[in-house]
Amino acid sequence: MTGPDAARPADRAPARVETLPAVPGLGGLYVRGVAASGRLAAAHRLPGATPRRDLALPDVTYRVAGVPTGDDAAPGHVGSAEHLARYARLVGEAPSDVLPAGYLHVLGFPLATAVMVRPDFPLPLLGMVHLANSASALRPVRLGDALEVRAWAQGVRPHRRGAQVDLVTEVSVERTDAERAAGSGLAATTLAYRGVSTYLAKGVTLPGDATPDDGETAPAPFSPPLPTARWSLGAGTGRAYAAVSGDRNPIHTSALGAKAFGFPRAIAHGMYTAARALAETGPRRGDTYDWTVTFAKPVLLPSTVDVALRPAAEVPAAARDAVAQVATAVPDGAGDPGAGLVYQAWDGKGRLHLTGRVTPRP
Amino acid sequence: MANRTSPRRNPEQAPETEAPASSAATGAPRDAWVVGGNRIPFARAGKKYSSASNQEMFTAALEGLVARFGLQGERLGEVVGGAVLKHSRDFNLVRESVLGSSLSPQTPAYDLQQACATGLEATIAVANKIRLGQVESGVAGGSDTVSDAPIAVSEGLRRALLEASHAKTLGQRVKAFAKVRPADLAPLTPATDEPRTGLSMGEHQAITTARWDISREAQDEIALASHEHLAAAWDAGFFDDLVTPFRGLVRDDNLRTDSSMEKLAALKPVYGKRLDGVTPTMTAGNSTPLTDGASTVLLASADWARERDLPLLARVVDAETAAVDFVHGHEGLLMAPAHAVPRLLARNGLALGDFDFYEIHEAFASTVLTTLKAWEDDEYCRTELGLDGPLGSIDRTRLNVNGSSLAAGHPFAATGGRIVATAAKLLAQRTAETGAPARALISVCAAGGLGVATILESVPATDATA
Repeated sequence: MTGPDAARPADRAPARVETLPAVPGLGGLYVRGVAASGRLAAAHRLPGATPRRDLALPDVTYRVAGVPTGDDAAPGHVGSAEHLARYARLVGEAPSDVLPAGYLHVLGFPLATAVMVRPDFPLPLLGMVHLANSASALRPVRLGDALEVRAWAQGVRPHRRGAQVDLVTEVSVERTDAERAAGSGLAATTLAYRGVSTYLAKGVTLPGDATPDDGETAPAPFSPPLPTARWSLGAGTGRAYAAVSGDRNPIHTSALGAKAFGFPRAIAHGMYTAARALAETGPRRGDTYDWTVTFAKPVLLPSTVDVALRPAAEVPAAARDAVAQVATAVPDGAGDPGAGLVYQAWDGKGRLHLTGRVTPRP
Repeated sequence: MANRTSPRRNPEQAPETEAPASSAATGAPRDAWVVGGNRIPFARAGKKYSSASNQEMFTAALEGLVARFGLQGERLGEVVGGAVLKHSRDFNLVRESVLGSSLSPQTPAYDLQQACATGLEATIAVANKIRLGQVESGVAGGSDTVSDAPIAVSEGLRRALLEASHAKTLGQRVKAFAKVRPADLAPLTPATDEPRTGLSMGEHQAITTARWDISREAQDEIALASHEHLAAAWDAGFFDDLVTPFRGLVRDDNLRTDSSMEKLAALKPVYGKRLDGVTPTMTAGNSTPLTDGASTVLLASADWARERDLPLLARVVDAETAAVDFVHGHEGLLMAPAHAVPRLLARNGLALGDFDFYEIHEAFASTVLTTLKAWEDDEYCRTELGLDGPLGSIDRTRLNVNGSSLAAGHPFAATGGRIVATAAKLLAQRTAETGAPARALISVCAAGGLGVATILESVPATDATA
């Protein structure tokens, strides 16, 4: 729909690294985000406000080391076997000790949010729209691995309806004590996951308005294929994913909260729907894979969503092109447009909710 | 084995292969024979059997079989069957039914479940033990009730109940129940949705129907033929020695003697209504209704049957079970029989046309039609089935000649037994008329992308009993 990748600027983490003692809790971050959002929204909407020329992103990379998983994680909390099982049951992942990419997104999300609630983050957190997401699983992360998580913001750029920005999250597996003692040549950490979440702040004007050249072409017309699955999403779908992911954004958990942002009912978390699609690929995605999604029309709850998940080679070229607008989070993934599995999800009136691709990495 | 499986081409060999008293001694498989069958009439859900349990229905069908063949006090090799919609308390459904029957309590039993193919897979399992010489006789069957289906509690309530049952103190128990939310109190009734796709079986078949472009009229024709054939068979007394009345029901109550193309055409489509750009064609008339019922089949070695002066209707020649990838839309949910049959034919050196009867389970009228169309499709047969060309066509006058599930109904696990007994009797009648062997092809599709195919064959009495 928006081609968030088209003009993605240089992809580099800010050199200044700030190490936090632990992954922060989302609850407190939202409180700070709400306060900052009001201030920022007001600033952006002042009558006669001129386009901001100084939307500089925080020049900092947040880092947390030694994030525990498995038995070392707090029981029932993110990273524990019990929490992983709850997540897997919710999105339909097969039981496994390997953390799926959607779970690593959940694990790293609070750190990315912490970047967005910094006083120097120039866009309001509340009301931001998740446009697209791209993640690469580069090596399996298993329960018991100690992890290092990094997050930063990059690539603020114009969008037809405001400004878009990428939040990048990286998860690395730390070398174990035994590996260190053995004196092997292993690096202290190995990059295992990289996720790029593209958000839209509506109504924020940047110099150099978006043009079709910026990938701002109108959404391609969508004609639904025959479905391969149907999701019955109950009214509590948002609350269920909020309980596991910690993302208790009110637009997902209550009709009132959703109405405040212009939605008639609560909407499903985009990442919940994308994680379900990822789960449906099962073992076909392999140990390492690229997973992309573009979000179109939000899923109002409750809802019945039709889904088609098919080998990319069996998907019409137009649908493949729509999917290809989101770059893989780590380049040199599958360049072959016929590789992997393409998924599309739509409503009873044939309107696209989300589309994306899951491709085994070579 | 190759020459044993096609006595039509080598009829003089059949008697010799029957001769060994014990295959355990010779190491060569011997034949397993269908001796007969018995079922209760099938009832539409919520009607005559609304208060009957699976165990009651299966026991009734089994007891009727015992009475029909004088098996009171007999220790059979085993009884195998199951139910698709089964309560966990019925873990030994078949063994409990045996204990409630007049069979010897020393008759072993086990439960088996393969969705709608349960009854046919049970037949194959019993037949294989007979062929290996491990048992001399056995009963295969199944039972299902939608009316008396187990009702589960919600996941939230279930987890709270389990946690409370593991709790050691009152406080822990209270804490467990405190997690229950009002929505958790709604009961969960069994659904025919595929767990992995969330699509009902009807919706899956609607997709397959659209892909194969099967017309509404063709489906209604199959449905009408099913009712007409079943009604004619009942009227001719065909089921007199295959069915025992139960709870006041003497005939399958889904059977309509007043059906017509006009009436079928007037029904509104129920499946495929959400599919974009597709005119829905599947109605309550050309889809099987939810049904209650139970069926059994008696199988035996030739020696065992001969000693008891029981008939040898048809021998179980061979069977093949297939599964397809329906999850990612590559193949239709109910298309596995299309894959099983060519493999079965190839192994037995047979062509699709080499049969006197075809019993293709009518999960939906369009299931039959998509399967037949697939076998006629050159590209599909090459790319999906790995054949050199189309598998071929069948003579439609040999298809489901005494009706099938659209008319009789389809109590999931009970359908296999109904079909096997019907086909075996048809074959025995044909051979009695012609004095020549006759052969039937059975195929049953099942949830989970499963499909089972079986070949039955009758041979002249002199050969079978030599």
